[in-house]
Formats: sequence, C-alpha cells, structure tokens
Amino acid sequence: MRMRSGHFVMADEGWPGCAKSLKGVILDMCGVLYDSGEGDGVAIPGSIEAVRRLKESDLQLRFCTNETQATREKFVAKLQRLGFDISASEVFPPAPAAIAVLKDRSLRPHLLVHDGLLPEFDGVDKTNPNCVIIGDAAEYFSYQNLNEAFRVLIGLEKPVLFSLGQGKYYKETDGLKLDVGVYMKALEYACDLKAEVIGKPSPTFFQSVLNDMGLQSHEALMIGDDLLNDVGGAQHCGMKGVQVRTGKYRPSDERHPTVMADGTVDNLAQAVELILNQRRR
Amino acid sequence: MAGRRALKAVLIDLSGTLHVEDMAVPGAQEALNRLRQASVAVKFVTNTTKESKRNLLERLQHLNFDLQENEIFTSLSAARSLLEQKQHRPLLLVEDSALEDFTGIDTSEPNAVVIGLAPDHFNYQTLNKAFRMIVDGAPLIAIHKARYYRRKDGLALGPGPFVTGLEYATDCRATVVGKPEKTFFAQDARDDVGGAQNAGMLGILVRTGKYREGDENKISPPPHLTCDSFPDAVEHILQNLL
Repeated sequence: MRMRSGHFVMADEGWPGCAKSLKGVILDMCGVLYDSGEGDGVAIPGSIEAVRRLKESDLQLRFCTNETQATREKFVAKLQRLGFDISASEVFPPAPAAIAVLKDRSLRPHLLVHDGLLPEFDGVDKTNPNCVIIGDAAEYFSYQNLNEAFRVLIGLEKPVLFSLGQGKYYKETDGLKLDVGVYMKALEYACDLKAEVIGKPSPTFFQSVLNDMGLQSHEALMIGDDLLNDVGGAQHCGMKGVQVRTGKYRPSDERHPTVMADGTVDNLAQAVELILNQRRR
Repeated sequence: MAGRRALKAVLIDLSGTLHVEDMAVPGAQEALNRLRQASVAVKFVTNTTKESKRNLLERLQHLNFDLQENEIFTSLSAARSLLEQKQHRPLLLVEDSALEDFTGIDTSEPNAVVIGLAPDHFNYQTLNKAFRMIVDGAPLIAIHKARYYRRKDGLALGPGPFVTGLEYATDCRATVVGKPEKTFFAQDARDDVGGAQNAGMLGILVRTGKYREGDENKISPPPHLTCDSFPDAVEHILQNLL
C-alpha cells in the first residue's frame, strides 16, 4: 500500500476491483467460449455476447488455447460457425509456437498428434526425427502409436519430448476425457526424462501473447476453466487469473491446496459483466 | 570379496532371466538343475501379468525347466488376494490369458480398477473409462509399474507409464501390489535389483531380457554383480556364495 497526500492507494487490488486498471484480457477457449463434443460443439450460453462486449470496450483481447486437435485455421473457422467474432491473428495455440522452437533448435519431430493437427506441420522436416512432439491426440493415443513414440525417444542419445500443454483432462459434451498431460507423464516415466511444455502454463507461451498485446503482465487478466494451467499459469507470470464454473471446472477447484484463483465466476458472461461494471465507475 | 554370505534362498525372476518369450536363455535349464542340487531353497518370482500361473508353468516346463506351481509367486496372485481382502469388484485391465487367475471374483458393476500388462486395453476409450471410475472414487490397483519390457520386435511400454498417467489425471496414488522387493535375478535394474539391494539382499543383474548397457550404473548401491546371463550367475553363486 502506498500513501499519497493522506490517501491510501492500493498498489495491488484484488478481483473484481483490479479490472479498473486492466489494459487487456486473455481468454481460454474450450470450456470458456464453448464445450467441445459432437460436430462443432456447443457455445456456452452468454459467451458470444461476452466476447462482443469485450471487443467493443477499450480492452485489448486475445485468445490463448491449448487446442491441438485441429489447425488454427480450421479451429477459428469452427468458432466463427458457432457465432463468435474472432480471427486467427488473435488466437494463440501451441502448434505454431512449437514449430518456431523446432526451427530455432534445428529439431526434426516424430509427431504423436491428432490427425487434424498434421497439416500445421506440413512444411516441417520430419525425416530422421531427433525429438517427439505430443499433442491432444485423443483416440490416436493408441498403444501402438504411443509405443512408436516411446521407441523413438528411447533410441535417441539425447531424447527430447515436447508436450503441447500438460492438461490432465477436459470436458466434452459426453463427459471428461484424458488430456495430453497424462500421456506426457506416461512417456516421462517410461523414458525417465522431463518433457518441455509448449503452451499453457509455460511462461514463455503467456509472454508471447503479452508481447503481441504490448502489455506487461500486471496489466492483463486471464480467464479460464483450468485452475492449474489457465489460472495458475497466468498468476505465475504476474497476471491475475479468474476461473469460470463452466467446462472442466470442479467444485473441489475452489479448495485447491496450491492454487487460489483471484476470482471465481459462474461463466464468461458474468466475468465480463463484472469487469465492465468496474470500468464504468 | 569382503565377507562370505551363506545363502539360504535364491529368488529367480522369470521373463528375461530364464526365458525370453518362447525361447529359453541358453544353458538356463542346466544351471537351474545345478542350483537345485545345492543346499538353497529356490523360488520363482515374476511380474509377468500377461498369463496365468498355469500357462506360465506349462510354458516353462515345455522349455524343460524343472519347477512346480507352488514355487511360483506371481503378482497376479498377490492382486487377487488384495481384491478378496477388500471385497472389491474390479475392472480388470489385464491380458485375457491372465483372467484365469481371477476366476470367481465378481466383476459386475466394478468399483475398482486393476491394471496389469494389457496392451490391448491401453487404448483411449478404455483408459478414459478407468479414469472416470477413479474420479468417482474407485481405487487404482497396479499389479506392478514396470516401465517397459522386451518383446521379440523390440522394447514395449509396460503398465507403469499408464498407471503414472492415471495417477496424474486423478491426483490419486495407485496401490502397487506384486513383485516382492526381494529379488535376486532380474534384468530391469531400477525395479528389481535396486529393490533387492535396498532390502538388504544381494541383487545380481543379468544382461538378458530388457537389460540395457549402463543399467548397472543406474541403481544405488550398484548390484552385487552383473553377469552375462543366468548360468553365469549360478556359477558365481555356487563358487562364492554358499
């Protein structure tokens, strides 16, 4: 707390008051904007309108996702079909970030990813792989495919494993499903190595979004359904993190031993209402 | 060598030590017979969950190994005991051929998950099913947590990675039943010989099965001895440890 001419000024205000001094908002997508499932999935009630309201405000807006079942192009098209006003340049998924890393370090990947993500890697040299990349492969996480990835790693003198995210599970319309993090842990255990995470909650990943917005971390707020990877990851970088009670949220999240969200709201619509209210004052 | 220990019992791992799938390790049958003639008790321990005790016995006798069913201790039988004790109704993710060791156990409306070496069950759908059960409160029982094993076509993932993955997904710890820590001959350095050494027993690592160059440097303390194969290990025992 600073004292200035007799007034107490909060150097760091909590939620929702902190919304007054925000310059940007970063939204998680699956579980916040929509729930995935059959076909395109289903927009979460109020989310389309909430995004519109944010765009009309003076806040900068970006979307940060660990979506790896489809290319960014296809994924954004799906969100547009659901009714969201959103464009590819505003969306930050892990695959493009991974491709940059491969280039930077002269690595050639063996891919264990969903078929829908493969086109994203069309321009990448995949011969004689010297690393493995795993994404949210869902039903492509067959024993055989996992074994192939394992054999590549165990055969390398310096095995490198990239995991596009480290989520434990996500929610689809027909229930909870295992996420990439589970298989990351499986391969880590099998090969006795540590994976490098590209995507949330990697600080590098969040930083690339902040850089694109031209903001410092304390000027931005992250809203997500994943307590550890969205909220915890954002807080770790110096952002505020708010959890929504949609998507993969579970009541026990509000009693988590290590991560405490700055705020917990019913859904994105409520979060945006609170944010804009604070800024109207 | 400092101090001679008079051994009273020798526990022998099976898969990778006496045989690799359907082939005996050369000279192993004879070495076993020599060991039996010495004044030590001989027992067999195995984490093999791919087949029932009866299948295992048949396979080994077919390869001319001299052993009896009651000398074999498998982690499958240990898992069964636990299930009976706790009155769990298991979802058995074990190889079809291992199911025989669980006959008589009620598997309707399962309320526990049992994981053995079951590549056929380690697909996305079945693991999701297990995951949801554990999230709803079902205990996770791992017959063992081997990282990988050797097949004829190369190394293959064991149950360990999948158990670890489910523990991560659910924030739960599996109960690992199975292979006693006291093993003598084994070729997965970390899992077996390390365990034996830690239990105060002598561990001998053999360079067959899933052994990989440098394994002996991966456990602390290092193995009492690393040998090329089971017959060499027996030679050493007969010469030095009795």
